[in-house]
Amino acid sequence: MTETLARQRRSMRSLESGWISVTISALFLAFISVAALAPSLLAPGDPLAIAPASGFTPPSLAHIFGTDESGRDIYTRVVHGAGSSVGIGLAATAIGVVTGAVLGFAAGLGPRWLDAALARVFEVLFALPTLVVALLFVAVLGGGAWSATLAIGLATIPGYARMIRARVRGIAASGYAEWARLDGAGAFSVFAKHIAPNSLWPLISAATLGVGQSIVWVAALGFLGLGAEPPAPEWGAMLDAGRVYLASAWWMTVLPGLTIVATATALTVIGRRFAQGGSR
Amino acid sequence: MSTPKGIAVAVLNKLGAAVLVVWLTATVVFLALRASGDPLEAILGGPGSQASPEAVAQARADYGLDQPFFVQYLSQLWRVATLQFGDSYARKQPVTDLLAANVPPTLVLATLAFVLAWVLALAATLAASTARGRLGRAIRSTLTGIETVSSVMPQFFLGAVLILVFASQLQWLPATGGASGGIRALILPVITLAVPIAGYLAHVLHGPLAEADTAPFATTARSRGAAESWVLLRHTLRHAALPAISLSGWAYGSLLSGAVVVEVLFARQGLGRLLLEATTVRDMPVVIGSITIVALLYIVVLIITDIVERIVDPRGTARRELGRSGSDATTEVVA
Amino acid sequence: MRIKPLLPLGLIASAALVLTACSTGNTESPETTEGGTLVYATGDAEPSCLDPHVGGNYPQALISTQYLEPLVGRDSSGTITPWLATEWETSEDGLTWDFTLKEGVTFTDGTPLDAAAIKANVEHLQDPETQSSTGYLAVQKVAEVEVVDDTHARFHMSAPDSALLESMSQQWTAIQSPAGIERGMEANCQAPIGTGPFVVDEWVPQDHVSLVRNEDYQTPGPENDHDGGAFVDAIEWRFIPDAATRNAALVSGEVNVIDNPLPADIVAAEAGDQISHIDAPRPGAVNRIELNSNQTPFNDIKVREAFIRAANPDAGIDALFQGTAPRSHSPLSSIEPLGYSDESLFTYDLDEAAKLLDEAGWTEGADGVREKDGEKLTVRFPVSTNQSTATEQSLFQQIQANVAEVGFDVQLEPLDLSSWYGALAAHEYEAVSAPYTKVGPDVLRILYHSASLVPAPSGYFANLAQVNDPELDALLDEASATLDADTRAGIYEEAQQRILATFTVLPLYDQQNHFLTQGVDGVTTLGTVATPTFVNAKLTA
Repeated sequence: MTETLARQRRSMRSLESGWISVTISALFLAFISVAALAPSLLAPGDPLAIAPASGFTPPSLAHIFGTDESGRDIYTRVVHGAGSSVGIGLAATAIGVVTGAVLGFAAGLGPRWLDAALARVFEVLFALPTLVVALLFVAVLGGGAWSATLAIGLATIPGYARMIRARVRGIAASGYAEWARLDGAGAFSVFAKHIAPNSLWPLISAATLGVGQSIVWVAALGFLGLGAEPPAPEWGAMLDAGRVYLASAWWMTVLPGLTIVATATALTVIGRRFAQGGSR
Repeated sequence: MSTPKGIAVAVLNKLGAAVLVVWLTATVVFLALRASGDPLEAILGGPGSQASPEAVAQARADYGLDQPFFVQYLSQLWRVATLQFGDSYARKQPVTDLLAANVPPTLVLATLAFVLAWVLALAATLAASTARGRLGRAIRSTLTGIETVSSVMPQFFLGAVLILVFASQLQWLPATGGASGGIRALILPVITLAVPIAGYLAHVLHGPLAEADTAPFATTARSRGAAESWVLLRHTLRHAALPAISLSGWAYGSLLSGAVVVEVLFARQGLGRLLLEATTVRDMPVVIGSITIVALLYIVVLIITDIVERIVDPRGTARRELGRSGSDATTEVVA
Repeated sequence: MRIKPLLPLGLIASAALVLTACSTGNTESPETTEGGTLVYATGDAEPSCLDPHVGGNYPQALISTQYLEPLVGRDSSGTITPWLATEWETSEDGLTWDFTLKEGVTFTDGTPLDAAAIKANVEHLQDPETQSSTGYLAVQKVAEVEVVDDTHARFHMSAPDSALLESMSQQWTAIQSPAGIERGMEANCQAPIGTGPFVVDEWVPQDHVSLVRNEDYQTPGPENDHDGGAFVDAIEWRFIPDAATRNAALVSGEVNVIDNPLPADIVAAEAGDQISHIDAPRPGAVNRIELNSNQTPFNDIKVREAFIRAANPDAGIDALFQGTAPRSHSPLSSIEPLGYSDESLFTYDLDEAAKLLDEAGWTEGADGVREKDGEKLTVRFPVSTNQSTATEQSLFQQIQANVAEVGFDVQLEPLDLSSWYGALAAHEYEAVSAPYTKVGPDVLRILYHSASLVPAPSGYFANLAQVNDPELDALLDEASATLDADTRAGIYEEAQQRILATFTVLPLYDQQNHFLTQGVDGVTTLGTVATPTFVNAKLTA
């Protein structure tokens, strides 16, 4: 199968998978971004304000997401939690992407023996279970938001490194990089003009998908009791706190949970869209 | 390439990888322990542990902490290579005993979930590819949506909702899996574990399938009058499954991640819960032992994956292609 | 002085307990059957050792109640009753105690229960190798146990100890087979051997412990409503750490008894008729927040009082616990007969709190947090996620929000047990909540005597409020040495008044200890540390 054919098929698929889902995802992410940067625009209330007497109120016009065990408004908390949840996801991804990219470029562009060694290491570490590796780091670092971020970031490095390395190898072996080299361009200029830009899209795509995944992983650590500290309205911690009351106050779990799922889904849709953009 | 010799070489290759995994794991553990400050404190359960002087002396001797740095490192490697993990400080039992009791239930859980994930992914893919016309498009986009959502579905969320609906409300299935739980107790945990992986596999199957469906070999087969579904199975799927198969090592690893959450949620005995418990009390011998076992399990899966891949794709064409450019589907799975 | 055990009273009390246990659920008793396996699901941490002498925490007490029994019992009114010992006598100076053991009793391994066994048990508790903390403290004043003859053991005390009987009624000093102890810690941790109605059969870590009926049960305790042993054939003791999952398992009929239910599940159980509720608060200290009086800002009593006046936990307790946990104003559990309460010290008064802080020199800062000499009014509050339930952690968040009104910046920090001990040992806390269960008011000496400021080798110390008051020390020492019940009660009342007046303690509610049961009758709790016993339990068809 030629590259052209594959590209045609991909663009057919992208048309089929539809601009609707991409648009909705983009709008949702815009909403989340506003929530993260200026939460008070969307929810003017205080996410920490308690009202014990009106705890466990089901969703209503006054509290569209209901209230939690201390009478705090869940919608306000979800909006104000966007900053820390998305922030943690971004920070963890940044750790993974930056370190992974450096290692991936080093392998892809380095001497053959280095590539062979690093490729092996990436391939092997890539599939070690993320959460298991993260637990190892948490065992050493202790719990809390920062160590959860670091643990997830470190655990995802091999995945990014592996991807970048494969990409760089592919481009370096392809015709135009060879031509550029034959033209007498220096190694750095080949890297800057050809390899880096062509690796960028897949990296952006992977990072976008990765942020979604990281949010879910960090929430998983929160669920296991190793995440952010109260009363911060971090989504994973909220979901964990609400799960205790799942049978009597479903909205405390389900609505923050759906927010996590929706955010990760939107990031996935956009990330996959970026991947197609990169093939063009 | 699918000659016995080819497979033997591949297996040897993976055994080399096994050594690498164990070495890397041991090294990471070693460095992590040192980075955490006083390794002895970490080994004995953190600053608040009530370690007796005897336990301290024993651990010091066990871990050779009075030795030079490099000697300590080598002896750590030796202990891991020979599966000497020592005794759990929290449980006062040999780590190997704990692992022997906890690995089998996790293997059963993860393997069943793995099979279910493949079944779900194949079913979704077949349904999407065989559907034609306007209805087909609707089915396809619905399935794509379900795939995307399930691939990011947190297991702790899905599992909690399943318990609420099927155990607390409808009371159809047990919420927990004690020794007396039997098969029925496995249903909800296996579903919880399988759904996100099924979403990924379906996504990975999906793309190549659409491409392979219109590829020359499928068209040829169809023109010879072979039944539609037969063509799909025999040619298309086989080709399309390759990226998914090569992702199986990752998928199985991901199931082990999920097992931590699922075992806690459904109160099942297993490696994940053992590891989590050891993590919260910083029982480092158990943490080290569990992670080493996970690494070894992963190698076994890699070897099996490799063999299956060679059987499905004897010429190794797809593999080479993947190795060169990396398809968008397999490279997006980074975590 | 001869102490006559009050048998009838104990029986009435236990019968009353059985009645209250059943009254909430089924009004008509359904068909019960003998035999079968009772499934118990615990949310407490899985013990690392099934021998409660080692370490000594509540999860160990819970499970060991099924296979180990103490020297003496205690009924729900606080009266000490016979158990393995039939009677006891103390000398005038309180320096020797003579215990008469029940005759002809053997442990489940065939070893006789004799005075030598009692001696071996006390020595086991006192042996540093055992790493006992709770049991070790309980027998601290026992200098030596003398074997008078097979059925008579004499305790020689280093000082009079009015709490000895209470101490010996606890599960942490329960009597085990000396032959079992001889096997060494590893074997004994796996399956301790006692005289209880059940025997440890198998322990599958993270999953369950199998207990089978002791067919030759000879030592009915104060809660027994019949002569023989247990009715059920076996108990499957399962570990289900997640509260929601545990309740789902109870509701769907997978398990018969759960502990640590959520308040909402208790309320739902009370409303329905399938599930019965047993409320058995633990003895000893109440659940409380303690303020570290030894460092800024709480080294100033005005700041402590301000915190306590502004905390206003009542609304939160009502909303979160939904009526299952009455507010306490005493340092001691409501089941302690000698508990002393003073509500007036804890009335909510924001203006007063603000005034006190002004007087203490803490002035309003720009961000609402008060300051003094450039220092913020910060309160570090490490929370043990193992010991504080989710509901309690929610309450702490509400208190955090309430005291923020007058300018406290409380920093809640959820920690695993070992990091939490670490933070306390390093004095990195201004407020803390640490449960402490012990039978009797002697717990006050452990928590507030200056001797408890001295850390154990592990770094832990029990006097977390860091109260250092020589007059209080004298009162607590005196109470501990006073055998006359009335005099002792008077001294303890004075001691509690002194403690509450320091404003180092914010009592919240009794240590919550609820059980929900389904498909089983006759579950009762011991009058000692309120652990459930299944000796009378019958499954219902």
